[in-house]
Amino acid sequence: MIVVKNLIKIYKIYQKTGRLITDIFFRKYEEVLALDKVSFEIGKNELVAFIGPNGAGKTTTLKILSGILFPTAGYVSVLGFFPFEKKEAFLKQISFIMGQRNQLIPDLTAMDTFLLNKEIYEIDDYQFKKNLQKLTAIFSAEKIIHQPVKMLSLGERMKMEFIAALLHQPRIVFLDEPTIGLDIFSQEAIREFIKDYQKEFKATIILTSHYLEDVKRLAKRLIIINKGKILYDGSLTAILQRFSQIKYVSLILEKKVKQEALFKIGKPIVYQLPKVIFQVEKKELPRIVAYINNKIPYLDLVIEDEKIEEVIKSLFKNQR
Amino acid sequence: MFKKIKRNLKILLLLTYNSLKITSQSRQGMIFFTLGKILRFLLLFGIIFLVFSKTKIIAGWSLKQVIILYLTFNFIDTFSQVLYREVYRFRPLVVSGNLDLILVKPYHPFLRLLLGGVDLFDLLLLLPYLFLLLLFIFQENVSFFSFLLYLVLVVNGLIIATAFHIGVLGFGLLTTEIDNVIMIYRDLLNLGRFPIEIYQQVISLIFTFIIPIGVMITFPVKALFGFLSFKNIVFSFFISFFLLWLSVKLWQIGLKRYQSAGG
Repeated sequence: MIVVKNLIKIYKIYQKTGRLITDIFFRKYEEVLALDKVSFEIGKNELVAFIGPNGAGKTTTLKILSGILFPTAGYVSVLGFFPFEKKEAFLKQISFIMGQRNQLIPDLTAMDTFLLNKEIYEIDDYQFKKNLQKLTAIFSAEKIIHQPVKMLSLGERMKMEFIAALLHQPRIVFLDEPTIGLDIFSQEAIREFIKDYQKEFKATIILTSHYLEDVKRLAKRLIIINKGKILYDGSLTAILQRFSQIKYVSLILEKKVKQEALFKIGKPIVYQLPKVIFQVEKKELPRIVAYINNKIPYLDLVIEDEKIEEVIKSLFKNQR
Repeated sequence: MFKKIKRNLKILLLLTYNSLKITSQSRQGMIFFTLGKILRFLLLFGIIFLVFSKTKIIAGWSLKQVIILYLTFNFIDTFSQVLYREVYRFRPLVVSGNLDLILVKPYHPFLRLLLGGVDLFDLLLLLPYLFLLLLFIFQENVSFFSFLLYLVLVVNGLIIATAFHIGVLGFGLLTTEIDNVIMIYRDLLNLGRFPIEIYQQVISLIFTFIIPIGVMITFPVKALFGFLSFKNIVFSFFISFFLLWLSVKLWQIGLKRYQSAGG
């Protein structure tokens, strides 16, 4: 469905020197490598999350996949089309929702934009009514579609943006920071909506977000990108197996234990008796568990993975 | 093909209807805007009469010919403003990044960026201009062929205006500083209210061959009175289609180099 091979994007950024004559007649441009030989494939009905720090290349990738930007080099095919050609048959099958951009007309009602999109995407009356009913029902937004957009709250406006973008039932949906700036209730509503939409319409969804909660709740596959390079492409669970070298061992002691016996496990990161937590190397885990079973009397033993946020953070740190 | 035209017309009608709904929200603004335009039109009309009270001919043009030229200018200027009002709102779209969401829509972006804000109130102003224009033309002794050529050259003038506006959009993709470009276009076009012969020869040549305001406005009126040579008629069509081609190329280059806000 989506094939990207050795994709490169270079931005030319105008460098201001502050000297008037130089800035007018002898402009200097800096070349910024936004994407550096990025390759991946995405299949039908997948929900893939792109994550990375600001300027990592997430949005640039999405903009190239949707045909907004022209790639500097590399191969891009989406639904069999080269996106930049902006063929109608291609554009009718995709949709792009950006958390900080609007397609709704602020002075009019959301319904006015929906009706305009009905003509643009050539949706017949029956299908339009059916889709609108379904989408507004998911959001419980039947009433606000008739209010002027400028009178809506950010969360309500975002819901309307989603409906406007999905009325034509796109096969591929690009979501760029869809929950940015929203309160926790609206974030939750949007997440539920994305999940329901993917299930109902069998769409392929590509999501970028700074909120790991979005990723954890929605995506099975994760693409981590930094400085224009893909650092990881795989499942959420596999990332822990591959990159996490740490486990957390949490103990509730049955009775007082000599400190020396406990410190043989390692220096605890939490020492609030009867609770003790250790951070241990993954490879040391079997030896440590055996030692605890033999030497330490306990009421409860819990072994936990490192948090995904920590794994990703250390991945970015290592790349710096 | 017919289906596509029908669909585009439907979208255009909806965009126009939405634009009308937005404009009608500010009634006072609408009234003052229209009054200002009428006042400007009447003042210039007064100046023409004042000049001709002191002299009978300006650069070989009689009073009625200058009035027809002035009304032709107003018709072309107002008509292009009616159609291409949305171009004046292009910069905010680029700067905010909302242009991205227009580029992913399955229609030609000109439908929205060029024609998406048709101003129906300006269209109303066009009717008295048209009435006065025809009134003055039919008072003159012009042949049917000259009138037909005049109409064709007015359409040709509108093609040049279209090319200018597409060019502004193309510039807008390359640099966001397009407000200046559109103001330069407006200022230059304003010089076309009078026959280009009143300017010095160098300026007159510039207005014919480089910035063809003369071709847009003076040439149709010259053709109406039989002053325009065959060579200049051919040149008029050549320059309009060349400018249209050039502006579309500029737009395409702009799209390729477009970096998108926050990209």
